[in-house]
Amino acid sequence: MSEIRPRPRAFRLDDAQIVIEPQAEAIHAEVVEVPLDEGEREIETAQQSGMLARWRPGLGVLFWSGLGGLVALGVGLWVTQLVEDLFGRAHALGWIAAGLGAIALAALMAIGAREIAAILRQSRIARLHADLARARASDDGEAARPLIGRLIALYERRPETAAGRAETAEAARAIIDGRDLIDIAERALLRPLDAKAQAEIAAAAKRVSMVTAISPRAILDMLFVIAQIVYLIRRIAEIYGGRPGLLGFFKLARSVGAHIAITGGMAVGDGLVQQIVGHGIASKISARLGEGVLNGLLTARVGLSALAVCRPAPFGAQKPPGVSDVAPFLFGAGKDR
Amino acid sequence: MSFFNDIVFEAGVAARSLAEYLGGGGLRLGVTGLSRAGKTVFITALVNNLVGRARLPVLSASAEGRIARATLEPQPDDAVPRFAYEDHLAALTGPERSWPQSTRRISQLRLTIEFERAKGWGNKASSLTLDIVDYPGEWLLDLPLLAKSYAQWSRETLEASAKAARAPLAAAWRGFLAGLDPGAPAQEDMARKSAELFTAYLKRSREDVYALSTLPPGRFLMPGDLEGSPALTFAPLPIEEGVEIGHASLAAMMERRYEAYKTHVVRPFFRDHFSRLDRQIVLVDALAALNSGPAALRDLENALAEVLQAFRAGRSSLLSSLFRPRIDRILFAATKADHLHHTSHDRLEDILRLLTARAIRRAEGVGATIDVIALAAIRATREAQIRHGGRTMAAIVGVPEAGETLDGQLFDGKTEAAIFPGELPANPKSAFAGDSIALPEAENHWRFLRFRPPLLAPGACPPQIRLDRALQFLIGDKLA
Repeated sequence: MSEIRPRPRAFRLDDAQIVIEPQAEAIHAEVVEVPLDEGEREIETAQQSGMLARWRPGLGVLFWSGLGGLVALGVGLWVTQLVEDLFGRAHALGWIAAGLGAIALAALMAIGAREIAAILRQSRIARLHADLARARASDDGEAARPLIGRLIALYERRPETAAGRAETAEAARAIIDGRDLIDIAERALLRPLDAKAQAEIAAAAKRVSMVTAISPRAILDMLFVIAQIVYLIRRIAEIYGGRPGLLGFFKLARSVGAHIAITGGMAVGDGLVQQIVGHGIASKISARLGEGVLNGLLTARVGLSALAVCRPAPFGAQKPPGVSDVAPFLFGAGKDR
Repeated sequence: MSFFNDIVFEAGVAARSLAEYLGGGGLRLGVTGLSRAGKTVFITALVNNLVGRARLPVLSASAEGRIARATLEPQPDDAVPRFAYEDHLAALTGPERSWPQSTRRISQLRLTIEFERAKGWGNKASSLTLDIVDYPGEWLLDLPLLAKSYAQWSRETLEASAKAARAPLAAAWRGFLAGLDPGAPAQEDMARKSAELFTAYLKRSREDVYALSTLPPGRFLMPGDLEGSPALTFAPLPIEEGVEIGHASLAAMMERRYEAYKTHVVRPFFRDHFSRLDRQIVLVDALAALNSGPAALRDLENALAEVLQAFRAGRSSLLSSLFRPRIDRILFAATKADHLHHTSHDRLEDILRLLTARAIRRAEGVGATIDVIALAAIRATREAQIRHGGRTMAAIVGVPEAGETLDGQLFDGKTEAAIFPGELPANPKSAFAGDSIALPEAENHWRFLRFRPPLLAPGACPPQIRLDRALQFLIGDKLA
């Protein structure tokens, strides 16, 4: 063996020549790359195509940007002219207009900053998700510890997560392997949030199926479904720590859409058959009721996909919830839950 | 004859497991390990953590707060003493703080865990009964003998004793053997003298500095209540392959006693305690072998492979659990992981994976689930970084046992010291390279000291490393 290794040594604790630090520094261990499971790959692909998507200008984008720029210039011109006119009429009016303009500009910049912060936050969560998934698959404790720190920091301002944060931090200090550590964090920090998100999904699905079943006009319930889905996606993102603004919401919605497309609209723990059967029985009773069930299923599916892409950690110790977990009432059975 | 024996044996096993299944027997956890691997400490810590409601974050039933309580029950077998849990715990936590004495006899324990199920409908309250057996690790070495004839065993033992690592230890016995004629008429004092020298050789090989492991028969090392009986008065003889053993010769007497040893000692031990396991943890003290040298490590590998062949692994089904229980989960654990810094645990696990490679392949081949971890059932040290001479070393701090030496220092068992035990190789194969044994400290790359049990607050459960992970793997699915 040609490698030079330090010799075994013993030190007295009262030796003045040595310095003892209680906390260990990380030594990087060899890590074997382990392939991720399929559900996790789907989630990550979905995140890549929305929340983490790079902005690539296409022709359409160029057109709309050009047009938007022109409109912005026009508005600017109009505002300047308006202010100038007002100055021409009376000095005081001009100043008021200039002040109002300044307020509007400041607010616009603040909104822009918030949008950017929201998008950054969202992509940070998506990256954390991917990193945690990789660390979990390769059982890499050294990689997992800083990630767990980031996960705890994400929920620092949420008082209801205090107990979970403390438990996770304690586990991170002990000698626990990477995979177990991530599972502990998932259980302590994310399980309560999962429950909350699932309750939101269930409530939205219930509302949608109810309204669809009794609404007089098809257009009305379509609007209602869309509004509910938008609300649901935003709510789930908020529960997991993201606060999507307008642009952030579009990115998130693309991710959700991609996830639904990849998983084939159904899947994630549910057979297609089960869903069709639920729908079939309901539509036997009444066509409106059948439509209600279908819309409820759709809402639940969207909610579950939103849950999967918004969650800052992969599903490890927890099984990903299926439609029958969040909306058992849609399958007719009165399961007591 | 042997075929008939096998059938009777199998029938016995099937009858017992069926009776146990109908009588509501629990999950049988096989704590397997050669002597000094830490079986007693593991069982004590396991019971203490469950009974004392310690926080076990990786054991999900415990982390989710679903374990209502765990209690010790009167054990099912009236003929077997109860595991002296209270005594072992008192030794560990008393003012003397000493590790339990080496186990001299078999004992048994039944633990009932009351918990609530997380899944399923209806009544959530449930309970799991865990049956654990503690026994001298030396006896485990006997299991491979079941499949070997006297001639085969003699040949293998003689071959092994001629190897460079063992020849000096076996010199006295081999010298005596050279003057023996296997065909000579049987004489009791010849047999006794031979057995004595053979036993001395085995005992010598087991000493800490050599740390050899493949040393059957186990009762020679730890006789229990059989000391001096004819079943323990035999030794290998140089018997030629295919030569008929003469009637009333020394060899015939030895062979008869060897067979008696198998029938009356090994077989009942195996049938009663190992043939009906559901889960198994294999505790391996790799550090003692690493201290000694590559030859000791290879010897340990050999012993483990032979011993583990006796167990029945495989996917379990309803039928198999009725008549022929199979082990469907095997955990290989390198014990005393607290003797080195956690950054070296991965390397220790790699070495263990190589040590048990044959057993792992076999178990995976038949569909059992396996895992390999570094574990400390009771953590006796804490970790620290030492900066000395411009270098930072990952060290451990604890109280080394009295009489341990390192780096020219003799420890008195009272003062705390920071120990840098050396670095394990990144490539586990290099730990196996070479023929040396009983390496002096200056020539080895590492030196793992023994530490005294930790000082605890009264009533507190001792700290552990990955005991919770081991439990999650072994019984976690039954607590789901």
